[in-house]
Amino acid sequence: MSQSDLLHHYSQQFNQELEEIRTNVLAMGGLVEQQLEEALRALVSGDVGHGERVVANDYQVNALDVQIDERCTVILARRQPTASDLRLVLVVIKTTADLERIGDEAKRVARMAIRLGTADHSRGLFLEIEHLGTLVRGMLNKALDTYARMDVAAALEVAKEDQRIDREYENVMRQAITYMMEDPRSIPFVLDIIWSARALERIGDRCRNIAEYVIYFVKGKDVRHTNLDQIEEELIRR
Amino acid sequence: MRVGWSQEVWRLVGALMLSLIIGLATGRVRDCLLVGLAVMLALNLYGLQQFLAWLGASDGLKPRDAPGVWGEIYHRVYLLQRRNRKRKRKLAKLLAQFQASAEALPDAAVALGEGWDIRWFNEAATRLLGLRPGQDTGSSIRNLLRNPEFHAYLGAGQFDRSVEIGAPGQLGRRLSVRVIPFAGNQRLLLAQDVTDRYRLERIRRDFVANASHELRTPLTVIAGFVENMRHDGSAEARHWARPLALMEQQATRMQRIVEDLLLLSGLESGQAASDADDVDVAELIHDIREEAIAAAGPDAPELVVEVSTEARLRGGSPYLRSAFTNLVMNAVQHTPAGAQIWIRWRLDGDRGVFEVQDTGEGIPAEHLPRLTERFYRVDVARSRRRGGTGLGLAIVKHVLQNYDGQLEIESEVGVGSTFRCVFPATRLVFSANLEQDRGLAS
Repeated sequence: MSQSDLLHHYSQQFNQELEEIRTNVLAMGGLVEQQLEEALRALVSGDVGHGERVVANDYQVNALDVQIDERCTVILARRQPTASDLRLVLVVIKTTADLERIGDEAKRVARMAIRLGTADHSRGLFLEIEHLGTLVRGMLNKALDTYARMDVAAALEVAKEDQRIDREYENVMRQAITYMMEDPRSIPFVLDIIWSARALERIGDRCRNIAEYVIYFVKGKDVRHTNLDQIEEELIRR
Repeated sequence: MRVGWSQEVWRLVGALMLSLIIGLATGRVRDCLLVGLAVMLALNLYGLQQFLAWLGASDGLKPRDAPGVWGEIYHRVYLLQRRNRKRKRKLAKLLAQFQASAEALPDAAVALGEGWDIRWFNEAATRLLGLRPGQDTGSSIRNLLRNPEFHAYLGAGQFDRSVEIGAPGQLGRRLSVRVIPFAGNQRLLLAQDVTDRYRLERIRRDFVANASHELRTPLTVIAGFVENMRHDGSAEARHWARPLALMEQQATRMQRIVEDLLLLSGLESGQAASDADDVDVAELIHDIREEAIAAAGPDAPELVVEVSTEARLRGGSPYLRSAFTNLVMNAVQHTPAGAQIWIRWRLDGDRGVFEVQDTGEGIPAEHLPRLTERFYRVDVARSRRRGGTGLGLAIVKHVLQNYDGQLEIESEVGVGSTFRCVFPATRLVFSANLEQDRGLAS
């Protein structure tokens, strides 16, 4: 199953509908990417304006989610797709759900950014979380690229990256605990940072989900809730 | 050709004569002639087979000798093929040169088909846009460049401008992307790395914002003390009255400049763009008029307000007020007492127009294009004397940019000037009632 198979279909119009829906999902992904980017910028630079814009724009992500789901329902009802077409529609529905959640997490980060504001907190933790944010942004971008190309090898890479993000998250947590022990007055501030880090870590998990949907679509193999070595083994065997 | 043919004909005639003689000698003329013809046919078939084998083995590119007309054919095919090969080589070389030059472009170039599908791209496109050679040909560019602004740009279809986006997957890199339609439904997408320019622009913006911010406090202190000294009432203060008055005047002017610069840098950073009040323009104009009359004092020109629509304007109320105030104040400053100034809010088609028309001295045409530049002054001495900051029209322009508006300026020396802010229909808000009325009326 590859790009060219996607394009090769008995009904040209049906084929176009499927492509269109895929493009819509990716456009939604682009919007979510932008939301995450702005939320991180707000958090790191203390720019409240950016944060407020993210919160205000979240409705666009939700609207796209609803709209794409609706179109999927129409396709399921009218075309009754089978095999890879069915898998594509299922994957689209799942992916939009994950993207919508990523949008929510970005909004949460933005809210934290607004609350922290421009107040002069120690910048050490910000550096850590900026690093985590950069990793997560890269992962989201790669996950969406994978989705655009329906590339199994790249999907595996993305799934692996989740472990790096988990490690980085643990790093932030350790640092945060040190801060809190050193200066109890910083606890409210550090707690907000922890919430942001948690949100970012969750985004990493969702990106992994998206990568797994790609594998499911191409190989017809559900690889959720299995560990990476198993997945790799399975894919090689087939 | 002649040689080949005559040889062939003589061979045929010779063979027939030979068969005839043998036939006459043996008395079986018919059989001998048949055998002779069969031999000739076999020879020619053999020649044909040889020819095909030669064509298959060498594509006709190795010369070969053969008797009779076959020799001629071999020769001709050989010449033809050699000419073809030369032409093919030349074309291939041209194509390679063209592709090499496209590859050497520092900007990413992507050829796009009708449905935004990628047809071809150069090496810079793999670097700047993250496209993969081989893998990405045929897929839609919209799937791989997912920036919402880029999608909006493609959707809008106005390709006479470019759009600035972050490079996909590369933090901090900025691209200026432009689509150029050509040959019917084909499009060429060009992306240029503008990171450095963007960074410089930001440094400049931050510098202005920070410098203005830092200047604000010292200025407030100076202006405060100068004001105290002026109203001190002691003999010494009276002695310094004139210098103190000048100092206060200039300090106030500097404060205004700093405020304007801060406003401008706020506008540039795009903070104003997200503001969306439904501004009641009629009320706003009324306020501005009062303000202008109060500021101009007794020799104020006559301000005539003409509002012909109830449409509200969507945008940041303080920013719009600042822009419109600037336009009205400018007009007041350049119009003699007793003359008229019109302030209008009307519809032009489906667009909203805010207009300030004065009967002042007008602006010479050569100044018009540069009028919105910062600190640009038509008449340096006079403008400063009247306390202008030189930033008014720059602010107007930036406010309008934030709300999709356009500034149009018409002016004739000795007759007067008209400053027009044109807003698209998407920025106008009609109350539900009004909408219904309009529906009934039409």
